[in-house]
Amino acid sequence: MNSSKITNNFIIELNNLAKYFKDVKAVDGISLKIPRGELFSILGPNGAGKTTLIRMLTTILTPTSGEAILNGYDIRREKNEIVKLIGICPQEIVIYNVLSAEENVEFVARMHNISKEEAKKKTREILDKFGIAGLKKSTKTFSGGMKRRLNLAMSLVHNPKILFLDEPTAGLDPQARRIVWDFISELKNKDVTILLMTHDMVEADALSDHIAIIDQGKVIAQGTPSELKERYGSDNVLEVKFFKNEEMEMLKKIIDQKDMSFIAECNVLGERKLLIPFQGGLKNLEKLLHLITESLDDVENMKFRQNSLEDVFLNLTGRRLRDK
Amino acid sequence: MKLLESKPVIIAMNSLKYKIRNWQYPVFSLGFPVMFTLLFYFFLGRDSFSLGFPGMVIYATSVGTVSAAISFSSEKASGMMERLDAMPIGRRNIFLGALISETVVMAIQILIMFLLGYVILQVSFKGFFELFIGFIVALLFGISSVGIGIIIAGLAKTVEVANAISLFYYLPVLFLSGSLYPFESFIVYFTPPFWAKQVYLQITVLGHGLFDNLYSSSFIYPGGSAEMIPIPLWGGIIILFGFTISFVILGIFIFQKKTKF
Repeated sequence: MNSSKITNNFIIELNNLAKYFKDVKAVDGISLKIPRGELFSILGPNGAGKTTLIRMLTTILTPTSGEAILNGYDIRREKNEIVKLIGICPQEIVIYNVLSAEENVEFVARMHNISKEEAKKKTREILDKFGIAGLKKSTKTFSGGMKRRLNLAMSLVHNPKILFLDEPTAGLDPQARRIVWDFISELKNKDVTILLMTHDMVEADALSDHIAIIDQGKVIAQGTPSELKERYGSDNVLEVKFFKNEEMEMLKKIIDQKDMSFIAECNVLGERKLLIPFQGGLKNLEKLLHLITESLDDVENMKFRQNSLEDVFLNLTGRRLRDK
Repeated sequence: MKLLESKPVIIAMNSLKYKIRNWQYPVFSLGFPVMFTLLFYFFLGRDSFSLGFPGMVIYATSVGTVSAAISFSSEKASGMMERLDAMPIGRRNIFLGALISETVVMAIQILIMFLLGYVILQVSFKGFFELFIGFIVALLFGISSVGIGIIIAGLAKTVEVANAISLFYYLPVLFLSGSLYPFESFIVYFTPPFWAKQVYLQITVLGHGLFDNLYSSSFIYPGGSAEMIPIPLWGGIIILFGFTISFVILGIFIFQKKTKF
């Protein structure tokens, strides 16, 4: 791989990058700097512009305006150099379904100018790592998890410098998801910069060094997972489900009136569900529970948990990540 | 060996593997030409059918339009084209690879038609050398059909639309060319199958040896208005070449432009 034009410590630099489809601003002036060797997540709901961004950075889509530099190469003018240093794992499973896993991966390796012998060797190694080596049958017979792993293996066989992962665990069962996560974590130590597009806050929280939260084509916040939670959330959250909507409205009003400084602004989560973020530990939880029992006879159920990126997104946009 | 290591050849080999394992489509796309060959053979009788069989060979190669349109638009729809775009390949190599694999499939289909016509049904022909030249002519026309298929795939948004447009193109054009059934109109001269069939017919059935054919002053045509065209055989070959090269170049151009976002 001769693509080694290096300008500074940032392997990806986006400057006001935008893509418009007629009147729709899919990506609306995103500026980011991603350090070499990091796992950087772009977290946002469906339709936030994640896939459009990835398609621009992988040279498939031409930006409407702005600039994107990958390892010193401009995505508009130096496409040929960029495609040599990237690997992409698309959101959909894109494989030749009548070919075997080996044939699929070997084909990708050959397309990256790897000799036949070397391609075979690398294919065996990577399929072995993903637990799908030695399967001669066509991928038609593979389970969803196996196909997903093959999809990822195809993006890695040529040792890319930058790896784009677009919702790599979408539709996977927890066990298969864990395998993919473990592999992604392993990659972090191998001089690969990973740009992970996801709407799964648990995934982003577990894997990322830095996160940019995007909504409607714009970056609305960025930082490390803990920085984001600290900046845009509280320590803990009490999720309360009421029997009636009126009870919820009443408690919300009481909390607002009492002006309890340790409680942040409450968020209504759909029907009869209230999210109460608060600072501090047991003492404050006790005060909060006392307030609830004073005001209401009972509630349907309650969940006490730590603040998450989902809450950060909710605080920033007033919507949940999974909402349309 | 270097050629075998080139990207278009690797893409073609991959695509051929895919086609062989999806053998139903290439086999059944020959279903109609084979059926019409048998029907015409029994209607016309063996002697008259020797003039009709070249039209069947051209019909069989026209199917390349549908096959290429479906195969390219499927790659677009599955996201594979985008995946290939993000690799150091280049659209021209993808196009060439696909063209090579479609041409190999086409060659096999022509050989199957030859087996049916010349071996099983004993259709008469001038000689093996003439038949070989006929094979090349049919293949050349087949490549132009693939070019049109790729143009259609470039323009169509879905596999279903590509399939519909390709059927909508190739069947009317085939009938308008008079290749399946005599059609006396000036329109025939604007259709590639007409030239492919006439050249093929003259070389394999009507002419008196290839060199005689090349120097004869006009197409030999058993009746009909084509008798009036004073174009020699080589003129017809040039026209066929012209169609093929134009469709392939236009195919590359549209494939590169229209399938980009």
